[in-house]
Amino acid sequence: MSASAHPALVPGRWFDGQSSKARPVVVSLRPTPQGPSLVLHPLSQPGAEPVVFAWKQVGWPEAWNERKPQPRVVVDLRDHGSVEIDAVAEWRAALAAAGERPGIAQRMQTRWPVLLGVTAAAVIGLTLFYRYGTPWAATQLTRFVPISWETSVAENVLQQMDNGTLKPSKLPSARQDQLKARFDALVQQTPPGLQRYSGYRPPLSLEFRSGMGANAFALPGGKIVMTDGIVKAAADKGLDDNALVGVLAHEVGHVVQRHTTRMVVQQGVLNMGLGLALGDVSGIVSTGASLLTGLAYSRSHEREADCYAIAVMRHAALPTAPMGQLLLAIARDEDNEETQKKDLGKGPTAAASAPSSGASTPDAARQRKVAQEIGSHPVWSLLSSHPDTVERATELERGQAPHCAKN
Amino acid sequence: MNTNQSSGGAAGPMSTFMPMNIDAHPLEFTGSGGEYFRVWIVNVLLSIVTLGIYTPWARRRTAQYFYSHTLVAGSPLEFTAQQRKMVMGFVLLMLLTIAYNLAANTGQDTAVGLFLLAGAALAPFIWASAMRFRLGATRWRGLRLQFTASWKEVYIASWPVFALALVWFGVFYGLQLLSPDLAQALEAIEEEGKKQPMPRFTPAMGGLVLLGLVLSVLCVIRTEYNFKSLLVLKAQVGAERGRWKPVYMDFVKVWMATVAVFILCVVGFSALIGILAGSSIALVASQSDRLGLWMFVVIIVSIIAGIFMLILASAPARAYREARMFQLMWNNIGVSHVARFKCHLKSGRYVWLRIKNMLLTLLTLGLYRPFARVSEYRMKCESVTLHVKGGVEQVTGAMVRQQQGGLGDALADAAGLDLIG
Repeated sequence: MSASAHPALVPGRWFDGQSSKARPVVVSLRPTPQGPSLVLHPLSQPGAEPVVFAWKQVGWPEAWNERKPQPRVVVDLRDHGSVEIDAVAEWRAALAAAGERPGIAQRMQTRWPVLLGVTAAAVIGLTLFYRYGTPWAATQLTRFVPISWETSVAENVLQQMDNGTLKPSKLPSARQDQLKARFDALVQQTPPGLQRYSGYRPPLSLEFRSGMGANAFALPGGKIVMTDGIVKAAADKGLDDNALVGVLAHEVGHVVQRHTTRMVVQQGVLNMGLGLALGDVSGIVSTGASLLTGLAYSRSHEREADCYAIAVMRHAALPTAPMGQLLLAIARDEDNEETQKKDLGKGPTAAASAPSSGASTPDAARQRKVAQEIGSHPVWSLLSSHPDTVERATELERGQAPHCAKN
Repeated sequence: MNTNQSSGGAAGPMSTFMPMNIDAHPLEFTGSGGEYFRVWIVNVLLSIVTLGIYTPWARRRTAQYFYSHTLVAGSPLEFTAQQRKMVMGFVLLMLLTIAYNLAANTGQDTAVGLFLLAGAALAPFIWASAMRFRLGATRWRGLRLQFTASWKEVYIASWPVFALALVWFGVFYGLQLLSPDLAQALEAIEEEGKKQPMPRFTPAMGGLVLLGLVLSVLCVIRTEYNFKSLLVLKAQVGAERGRWKPVYMDFVKVWMATVAVFILCVVGFSALIGILAGSSIALVASQSDRLGLWMFVVIIVSIIAGIFMLILASAPARAYREARMFQLMWNNIGVSHVARFKCHLKSGRYVWLRIKNMLLTLLTLGLYRPFARVSEYRMKCESVTLHVKGGVEQVTGAMVRQQQGGLGDALADAAGLDLIG
């Protein structure tokens, strides 16, 4: 635009901050290592010295639109008032000639390739962060959570459930003792190498309740609850106690890997991060995103607990196949039940901190049913808190899964 | 391009020779939806990449976009808040939020109680800090706006907030006097957590609760009136102070009209929902062979529709109140004897625009939001005309420096109060 020897002179109106009266000025820009500096030449007093403002002393207005500049820009001179400029195109040209380096926001604002590049980076970064970053951070943060907090939460939850859906167990005490003995033996046989949290030794105990169908769940701090329904289901299918021991190993996996606490931390990070990033788009988008991601975390926790169960059972020389058969059988039962009476309630499992034995939650059963009807569309699996039951059962029957770490 | 031309802009030449001459300057907004979409999407993307830390920069860019495209008597507004202060305020706010969430999630009831109590007691202080920051960061023709209310004035103006607490204290006390059974039942609930048969609800008790409700609405209106009038009366451009004409009854009238609009909308929507529900049940009945899946779909759809209808039913009333309040304010305020504002916003048109914008925003999952924001801002902004006596060049004032200790104000500003709107 202009020869480098003669920097362009841009006319403007200067307001000194003392009155609303405008004074005619001419503005020129000089390149400096930090960025352009601004020179203000007052025209109202002849012979007045020009005033120089360094790059840092000026609030530079952002360029919003390259092709269609706004009718008037205002340059902020901080305590020295401000300069209004009508010749916006000349002003921008002078800035460019003086070596302005626009920030990332302005480059995205005015250049399509930069905008597209950042969009791609945002998508990749977001995926990586929520896929690996948040779970990792949650795992580390959980180290600082005391076990006493977990125990008090667990007591509260169990108290609420006892007042609500759960009833005292009707299993004969001999049978309860028999299972408790198997459970204690299993805990004794746990190999030490499986600990993710070294030094985390919660007191593991097993309790029985009735209600909530065929289910088992782990509470943080080491309490594991088994319903009469799942014991009965195993007996009905002619499966031996190894099936139930497998389920218990899965629940122990939830406890020692501190899934509940990690979930609380992860959900906190999710709600805050996604709320800030997407809250301005809409509440639906940000809530939906954190819900879907939360479900993905839940599925990965189930897989981890399955891996733990497989490893512990292998170490104790017990088969995992019966557990897989039990999962499938319960899922099939609930399918049949559901086709008869349309039970759509999500059930109380949502209240339990780490509901498990996945096939038994109505969620998984519904997902299977819908999958059958619609032709197993992968989108539906995103809406489930547990991985696909058939896949899990197959892995358990084989006693190994591709996603488990080799040890 | 002519440096000698005064900044009359579209309003035509101004006369400084005849001081009593009154010039009309309609406010202009020179931005566009498409352009602001670009601003907004850049903000959203950078917020995603930085995990939300970009928020204070995004707030500043948004404010600067709207301010710099708003021409008052031909001169754009300036948003001059220091970025550093906004960032510090945001970081402090995030730390407070995390502390509160930690306390709430780990069941520390005393800490949570203290947080809430402090929040309630400090609410007027926070509001005033935010206003001080907002006005202090706004500049026009080189002059800063100022909010000059003292803390004492702010707390005196917020008496209705504390009266509201007293009203409900009185209502509960009165209920216990009227019905000793109720007090016992409440105690029993607290002790055992079990439900007991609730005592009979007498007309006297109903009357008391109704009285409490009416009084609290009056308190809320009084709060709004007090704060708005304080904001205008204690605002300053240069040495010129704000002028305020509305009276409390004007506000009560607007609220009553709003309630009437709301009731009309609710009646209309209930009728609509009744028709829709009837037809969907008929549809399900005809598809009885695949009842299971259909039932599931219908339940989900009706839940979503229910929430949607609730938002939709209250939206016209909210938009109506906003429009009426905007008219009331901008028809009745001014700057000492120098300037007055006139507003010709049409309530009906504004309500319609808001409904249209809400539907489009929902349909596009929020992508229409920047266009909606611009169109609403434009309609409001361009409905206002500034009448200046004796030319815009006469306002003078002692120079106000940007406040140095304004970090608390920046925190208050980050805590809420949308910059634009």
